Amino acid sequence: MSKKEMIISKVKSVFGEFKEHWSTPAPGKYVPYKEYKDIFIAVGSNYTGAKTLEYIGFNALCYLMMYHYKLPYLTYAIIGLINMPLGYIWSLIWWYVCDNLANLPKKTEYKLYAVYLSLMAIGLGLIIGDISSLFNQTGAFVTYMNGLEGLNANSVFKILGTHILHSGWVGARNIFWRKVLLPKFGRYKYGLYCDFIPKCVMVILIGWLPVYEITDVVTRVWVANLLFAVYNVFGFGNCLETCAMNISPNVDERIIVRTYPIKFSHTFNSIIAFLIPIIIGTLRYEWADINVFRFVIPVIFITFASLTMVFAGRVTERIPQPPIEKKVHIKFWDGLFGVLHNKYRWIQTIVYLLDSLGNGMLGFTTILYLYTFRLSGLSYALIVGIISFAGTPPDLFTPYFIKRFSYKQIMIFYQLVRALGNGIIILAILFCGENLVLCGTLCCVMLFLMEITKTVPTSVGHDMNVRVNDYQMYLSGERLESFSGIFGWFTGPITSFIGLIIPLLLLEYGFNSNWDVLFIDESRMKIILVPMIIDVVGFVLMAIPYFFWDYDTKKQNLVMEVLKRRAEVTAHKAEEAGEKSHGAFIG
Amino acid sequence: MDENKKENVIEEQNPVSAQSVEEVTPVHNPLNIAEDEIWTYKIDGLAAPHVNKPYKYKLLKQIVFVVVIVVAIALALYFSVQAVRKETFDYKAKEEGYELSKFSNTGYVTELNVEYVTELKYQEGNPDPNTNFYFVEDETKPITSIREYAFNCDEKLKVVYIGAKVTSIDGKSFYSCNALERIEVAEDNPAYCDVDGVLYNKDMTEIICFPIKRSQYLQSKLGFGEDVDKQSEAYVNDVLTYKIPASVTKVGKLCFNYTDLVNVYLPEGLKSIETLGFFRATALKNVYSYKADGSVYYSLPEGLEYLGSDSFSYNQSMDYLYIPSSVNYIGHHAFWDCVYKEDNQIKGITEINVALNKDSFKKGVDTGDQWKPKYDYLLFKKAVKINYGASRKA
Repeated sequence: MSKKEMIISKVKSVFGEFKEHWSTPAPGKYVPYKEYKDIFIAVGSNYTGAKTLEYIGFNALCYLMMYHYKLPYLTYAIIGLINMPLGYIWSLIWWYVCDNLANLPKKTEYKLYAVYLSLMAIGLGLIIGDISSLFNQTGAFVTYMNGLEGLNANSVFKILGTHILHSGWVGARNIFWRKVLLPKFGRYKYGLYCDFIPKCVMVILIGWLPVYEITDVVTRVWVANLLFAVYNVFGFGNCLETCAMNISPNVDERIIVRTYPIKFSHTFNSIIAFLIPIIIGTLRYEWADINVFRFVIPVIFITFASLTMVFAGRVTERIPQPPIEKKVHIKFWDGLFGVLHNKYRWIQTIVYLLDSLGNGMLGFTTILYLYTFRLSGLSYALIVGIISFAGTPPDLFTPYFIKRFSYKQIMIFYQLVRALGNGIIILAILFCGENLVLCGTLCCVMLFLMEITKTVPTSVGHDMNVRVNDYQMYLSGERLESFSGIFGWFTGPITSFIGLIIPLLLLEYGFNSNWDVLFIDESRMKIILVPMIIDVVGFVLMAIPYFFWDYDTKKQNLVMEVLKRRAEVTAHKAEEAGEKSHGAFIG
Repeated sequence: MDENKKENVIEEQNPVSAQSVEEVTPVHNPLNIAEDEIWTYKIDGLAAPHVNKPYKYKLLKQIVFVVVIVVAIALALYFSVQAVRKETFDYKAKEEGYELSKFSNTGYVTELNVEYVTELKYQEGNPDPNTNFYFVEDETKPITSIREYAFNCDEKLKVVYIGAKVTSIDGKSFYSCNALERIEVAEDNPAYCDVDGVLYNKDMTEIICFPIKRSQYLQSKLGFGEDVDKQSEAYVNDVLTYKIPASVTKVGKLCFNYTDLVNVYLPEGLKSIETLGFFRATALKNVYSYKADGSVYYSLPEGLEYLGSDSFSYNQSMDYLYIPSSVNYIGHHAFWDCVYKEDNQIKGITEINVALNKDSFKKGVDTGDQWKPKYDYLLFKKAVKINYGASRKA
C-alpha cells in the first residue's frame, strides 16, 4: 500500500469512526461525537462570556475601578477584613445546603429561609440607617474606623450591611434554585438558568449607573461595594466547562474531552480577547473610556451568554452517583471531618497558602503593557494574543505529557519554571530597566516561554481537582466540594493577613487610588519588583508539597470502579423498591 | 460488562432521568464488591471510606477544631486590624529633626500645619466630625523634611502650611492631592517660599508644586461666584492662566500635574521641565514663553534644555507645539496621547515644529522611546509629522 493510500485509508477510518459513533459512543466510552460538537459551542460560549465578565469586578485591577472609580488600593483589603468574620458563619449553612444538593428536610428548609430573609432585613437596615451615630463620635472605635483608608465609621456599617444583605439574598436563592433546577439540569449547569437574565441586566447597569461620579471617596466606596455586591448575587461562571470536565467516568475520555473539544472551544475566547482591545483602541480614551463598560462589554457578554443558554442543555453531566433521593445525607460535622481526612486536599491547601504570598500584587502584565509600553488597539491585541496562544500547541499534547510524566512531576516542574521565569524578569528589570525596548522584549519572551509551560500543568491541575473530588466521593459518599471550603477557614485568616503585606508596601511606594503613579519610572520599578521577589519565593516553596502527591491513575480508576458499583447497587435497590428517584448515573 | 447492555445504559445518559437504571442489573463489578460492602470497600494505598459512621473521639475533635479556628481567626483579625490601623501622622526621627513620612487624613482635616511633630486629639462630647478634633504640636520636635508621597491621594486637604524648619520637600509629596488649593510657607523658612499658594524654592529658581485645585482658591479670592462661567475671558485670564516667574529655571517633578490651567507662560530662562511636569493637565491649551522685554512666543522657551519623560503627556487640549533649538533631551512619552482622532479628524498636537534641522536634531537631541504623539492609523498607531527647521510663532 502506498503512503498516499495509507493516508487516505487512515482519513477514511477516522471519518468512519466519527460517523459510526456520532450519536452513540464507542464501547467503553460515554460521550458520542455529536456531543463533542455541542461541548465545543456550549463551553466556548460560556467560557467567553465568563472571561468577558473578568473586565468587571470590585478589585483594583478592573479597568472600571482603575480609571473611573479610583478607590484607594488598601480599601479592597479592608473591606475583605470587614466581611471575613461573618463569612465563616454563612459558609457553614452554605456548605450544608450545597453538599446536600438542597435536598433538605422541610423544617430545616423553612428555618434556613427565615434566617436568610432576616439577614436581608438586617442588611438593608444597616445600609439605610446610620448606626455609627449610636457610638461616641470621639471614642476610639469611631475614630479608628474614620481613619481607615477610604472608609469612615458610617460607611463601615453600610459595608457590613451590604455583606449581610448579599449573604441572605444569595443563601435564599441558593436553596430555592438548587431545589427547583438541580434535579432537572444537574449540579453544575443549573445556575446558568436562574442567573442568565439578571446577570445581563446587572452588566448593563454597571456601565450605565454613574456611581463613579460621586465625588466623596468614602461614599463612592460603599455605594460601589453595594452595586457590585448586587452584581455578584448573580453568577455566570464557567459552569459548562466544569460539567464537561466531569462528562465521563472514563478517565482517558475525560482527558480527551478536555484536550480537544474543550481546548478548541477556547478559540472563541481567543478571538474575542483579540478583538476587544482593538475595539477599545478605537475609542477616544481607549482603556479609560467609559463606553468600554456601556457598550463593548455588555454587547459581547450578552451575545455569548445567549449562545450559552441555547447549547447548555446539550452537554450532559455523567458523575457516577446514586439518585438524589438515595444519596448519602451529609451531616455538618461528618462533612467537615470528611474533607479533613482527605490527604490530597491538605496538599492542595498548603500549595494555595504558599501561593498567597503573592496576594495583593498588581498584575505584572497590566503594568508592562499599559504603563511601560502604553499599548492599546491592535498592538495590545497582538502581543496578548501571541503570548496567550503560546500555550495552545503544547496543550494539544496534554494526553502525551500525562502518559509520559506523573502529575507530581508536572506540577513540580511548573512551580520551578514559574520561579525561574519570574526571576529572569526581575533581573531584566533590574539590569536593563532603563531601556524600555530591550527590557520589554526580554519580559515578553519570558512571558511567552512561561505560557508555553503553563497549559499542561493547568490541565493537570484541573484534573487533580476532579480526581480529588472523586476520591472524596469514595471516602465520604459525596464530593463535599462545598465542605472543602473548610480549608479556607484555616487559610483565610492567614491569607487575608499576608494579603495586606503587599498593598501596605505598595502604599509606601506611592501606589494608592491613582494608578498614574506607575508612569513615574522609579516608583514603577519598586511597585513591580518587590512583590515579584516575594512571589518567586512563593513559587519555589509551592513545589515542596507536590512531593507528597501519590494519587496516580491506577488509584483513580479503582476509585471510579467503586463509585460505579455504589451507584449501580443503590439505583437497583431503589428500582426494586419501586421508589421514585432522580439524578442517578451509573456509568 | 455486556456490551449491548452498556450501550443501553449509555443511550439513557440523562442524569435527570431515573429510566437510565431501568435496564441495569448489578453486573458491573470488576472489583467483586459485595452489595453490603459498597460503602466500606477499601482500595489498597488509599484511606478507608468513612460513610455514615460516627467518628472516633468526635467530641474531642470538635473541640480542637473550634478552638483552632477561633484562635486562628482572632489572631488574623488582630494582626490585620493592627496592620491597617493608620496613625494620622507618621514621623521618622532624623539627625536634624523629624521627617513627616505619611499623613493619613481622618476624612475631615482640610487645613494642616507642618511645623512640629503633631498629634490629633478629639473634643469629648462634640459629635460633629468636622469640628471635634484639634492638633497638639510638640515644639521640641521640629519637622525638617517631608517624604515622597506623604500626602498621596489625599482628597480633603485644601491648605498646607509649611513651617520655618522644613528644608527638604520631595517633589512627589503632594502627588494627586485633588483638593489642594494652596501651600503656604513660613516667611523665615530658609529653603522654600510660596507665591500666592504656589510652592517654590527660596531663591525661586524652581517651581515645586502648583496645587491641583488652586483655581478654587483664586476663584474665591478674586470674587468669582460659584456659578461663574468658567469659559469666560475674565475667568480664564485671572484664574486659569499662570505666569511662571522669570527667575525660575526648573519646573519640578509632577509640578503641574492634573491642574485645570488653560494657559501657562514659561520664562525664557527656563532650563528644564522634569518628569511629569505638566502631566495630564488636560485643559492646558496654550504654552507660551516670554522674554524679560515683554515679548511673548507661542512656543516652549528658547533656552529650555531638558524635557523629562511624560512631561506633557495626555494633554489633548494642546494643539501647537514648538521645540526650540536649545532642547537636547526629550524623555520617553514626553507628548504621549496629545493627539487623538474624533469624527475622522486628527486633533490635538497634529504636528511638531522643531527649530533644528533634521540632521542637527538627530545628532544633538537625545530622545526617549515614543516621545512623539501618536494617533490611530488603520489598526496601528502613527506618529505625528515633524516640521524641521520651523520658526516659532510670536
